[in-house]
Amino acid sequence: MNIRMLVYILGKVLLIEGALMLMPVICGLFYGEVQVFYYIGLAAIYIGAGFLISLKKPKNMTIFIKDGCVATALSWLVLSVCGCIPFVLTREIPSFTDAMFETASGFTTTGASILTDVEAMSHTSLMWRSLTHWIGGMGVLVFLLAVVPMTGGSNMNLMRAESPGPTVGKIVPKVRSTAKMLYLIYLVMTLTEIILLFVCGMPLFDSICTAFGTAGTGGFGVKNDSFASYAPHIQWIVGVFMIMFGANFNFYYYITTKQISKAFKMSEVRVYLAVVAVATAIIFFSLRGMYDGIGETLRQSFFQVSSIITTTGFATTDFDLWPTIAKFILLSLMIIGACASSTGGGVKIARLQIMFKSIKREIHTYLHPRTVKKIHIDGKPVDGDIEHSVAIYFFIYLVTFASSMFIVAFEGHDLVTVFSSVAATLNNIGPGLSLVGPTHNYAFFSDVSKWVFIFDMIAGRLELLPLIVFLTPSTYKGIFKKAPRLQG
Amino acid sequence: MLMGKKGLKIIVVGAGKVGDTLVNRLAEEGHDLVIIDKNVDRLTELANLCDCMGIIGNGASHEVLEEAGIATADLFISVTESDELNLLCCTIAKQFNKNLATIARVRNPDYGKEIPYLRSKLSLEMIINPEYEAAVEAARILFLPAAISINSFAHGSAELVKIKIPEGNVLDGKTIAYLGSNYTNDLVIVGVERGDEVTIPNGSFELSAGDIISFVATRKVCHSFLKSIGFNTNSVRSTIIIGGGKSAYYLADQLIKTGIDVKLIEKDPERCEELSDLLPKATIINGDGINESLLEETGIRDVDSVVALTGIDEENIMLTLFARQISRDIKSVTKINKISFTDVINRLDLGSVIYPKLITSEAIITYARARQASIGSNVEVMYHLFDERAEAIEFKVKEPSSATGKQLKEMKLKPNTLVSFINRSGRIIIPTGSDSIEVGDSVMIVTKNKGFTTLTDIVR
Repeated sequence: MNIRMLVYILGKVLLIEGALMLMPVICGLFYGEVQVFYYIGLAAIYIGAGFLISLKKPKNMTIFIKDGCVATALSWLVLSVCGCIPFVLTREIPSFTDAMFETASGFTTTGASILTDVEAMSHTSLMWRSLTHWIGGMGVLVFLLAVVPMTGGSNMNLMRAESPGPTVGKIVPKVRSTAKMLYLIYLVMTLTEIILLFVCGMPLFDSICTAFGTAGTGGFGVKNDSFASYAPHIQWIVGVFMIMFGANFNFYYYITTKQISKAFKMSEVRVYLAVVAVATAIIFFSLRGMYDGIGETLRQSFFQVSSIITTTGFATTDFDLWPTIAKFILLSLMIIGACASSTGGGVKIARLQIMFKSIKREIHTYLHPRTVKKIHIDGKPVDGDIEHSVAIYFFIYLVTFASSMFIVAFEGHDLVTVFSSVAATLNNIGPGLSLVGPTHNYAFFSDVSKWVFIFDMIAGRLELLPLIVFLTPSTYKGIFKKAPRLQG
Repeated sequence: MLMGKKGLKIIVVGAGKVGDTLVNRLAEEGHDLVIIDKNVDRLTELANLCDCMGIIGNGASHEVLEEAGIATADLFISVTESDELNLLCCTIAKQFNKNLATIARVRNPDYGKEIPYLRSKLSLEMIINPEYEAAVEAARILFLPAAISINSFAHGSAELVKIKIPEGNVLDGKTIAYLGSNYTNDLVIVGVERGDEVTIPNGSFELSAGDIISFVATRKVCHSFLKSIGFNTNSVRSTIIIGGGKSAYYLADQLIKTGIDVKLIEKDPERCEELSDLLPKATIINGDGINESLLEETGIRDVDSVVALTGIDEENIMLTLFARQISRDIKSVTKINKISFTDVINRLDLGSVIYPKLITSEAIITYARARQASIGSNVEVMYHLFDERAEAIEFKVKEPSSATGKQLKEMKLKPNTLVSFINRSGRIIIPTGSDSIEVGDSVMIVTKNKGFTTLTDIVR
């Protein structure tokens, strides 16, 4: 394992985190809040430490997939731990576990909160909380790849470990240009949303925080009632932006390079939009009579569908009160999740497409045992290895899901709470149903359950395997001890 | 945005042995690379190793080329196994984009004489033939066996020669300044390898036995210098070539033309028949070269050189080691295909080693650098020295710049950078501090820095 390179990467991650902390600092200075001093101090410490650690560039910068997984998992741990310290220091979230939960929830773009009164937080901390969504959405290592020149193709292993989806490809030949391109699209879309929201009458602070929450498909709001009190047209804007951030970013790359027809031929985006349409329609009909008029019913169903499928987790209404069929649809959407190569979580449309196609193929081979058939997505054959890895992913997903439920179930809450809380954290959504519904929060769980959720959130964001590789002891075989020499 | 020099957009068809090396080195140069190959595994492997994008498909297909972004590409290189496919790929690629430079690998001797014709008719920028290039390099070494390697510069008007200083040689313990005042002033030592260290020396550098020195001089000066320090400068008289592939054919052909006696050992009887048709003057021996008694029978004790050109690196190394065990004085040339183990190979006492793949990729990198360079000066030729730890780059100076018209002693060069010679309309000047670079010159720079594309890069 290339330990020097790991240290170098972690140093850079720390440096970036420190630099990003300057954003809440600016906000805090603007509002003249005392909490800002903690942020200034921490930012200085992180920048200084990160700078010193990554001062010396390692000679060998090669990263194998194993190192990529470990680097990613460690980076996310460092991010979460360092990111939660301001909350503890400002006494706004005094318990370390709670602060860690809140920060992990932020970076993994889950949006599950343990805060009972969001509005009591300082603007500085709220800004930091929302900013964690924005960084976590596209990924800090992708950011690192975009800004730090690193030679060699093995960097792809970093990007692969952090980015969601069954296959992570480049959109342009170089890793660095790909990372830059992704962040550029991300930045432009976020700024557009901020401006649009501000123009439509939302206060600037709320606009920025909301846009960060939407862009990363996170879901931390700045109001206790999440989104219910904002004007209908603002809810529409945010609803549409959530859908946009949940789409595969290759779609936007094709659009910016004027390959419009190619963009709209992407089957994943088509399936994604179809699922959104069908889910909205079903919920719309099941909600007849609950709200005033067709317009509001449509808005409520669309906003909730959009928020859940993209794993954002904003809410404009207490969907826990909805009929069972509507709740079931939402629960299914939680697991389906957004598109691959987006900022959303969940299992991902692309994986489901591959899975369904392999089931179809399997049935076909029963009927015609000698057929040779390959699965195609967008007219291209899907490699057998990818199919295999998708199947393995599903199994690990189920095992993680079941084991998490097993531990949380000891607390004795009802099954819907247990199931939906695990689903909402593992898929990076935020609110679940029943006791963790949109009007509630996660404060009442014990510390043990909270750590399970923290694990689930990070595992879900990194798509399970990197974290599992990180936790597998044999990854570290022989890193501290050199193999014995047989010869003098 | 944050990028310094922008790389070229290059499409490479064929992720085979040559494609591999080429892509790796072009990626190091910072170009945007797209690789097309039918084989998924090879592509994934390559894409994992270096920063490039792979596309699965046939490089001659319209759709595949479009997906690879042919419309915006600067350079198109086709290095598949098949010559015909390479030519077809280049021809089709050219249809998309008239400004696209195309390079094809064509190595079948059938086309040997038609290369210039193909080049102009298909408007190819370059045709590469690694086997032929390897043969040329091997022949150069056999013509001057005292050298470990010889490369030509400035279109043959100067040579870059590498020699090892033997025990008890007159150069042992002498400084480079001493060399200049007592032997010849028309020669410049551009680098010295001592153990694992590479130095670009100044006048006070002291040479010692065992050093491998690289110097640049005209052919005449080079010969007289080598003679004056006690080296033999005659060409070899007889040689045994083991392995009868394409490069063996090219090499034997050149050697026979200058009257060197060639014996060629080849395993495959059919190939032997072919070779005896192509090379009537050579002695073709059918048999396995990896066989001590066959080598003895062929007369390995009676020849003064041996060239190992089989397709398997390990066999070539064994053959050379065996030949050198029989006679310490035998000149040996070993062909190595894989470049992964250069360190190991350097530690073996193999004499001259040629890397056909490096020769080809060097030519292409030179071309890419020249394309990338600003208008003021152009990279003419570039060689990697000492396992890529230094580069010798020849610039053609076309316009005045911050590096021209000034005395060299007034210029602040980057560390480990040397102006080794100036070619002023055919006259080679070995520069001293009072010389200067003028427009119209060709200048050769030796540097341990990487990626120089214009002459101004040498200035701090």
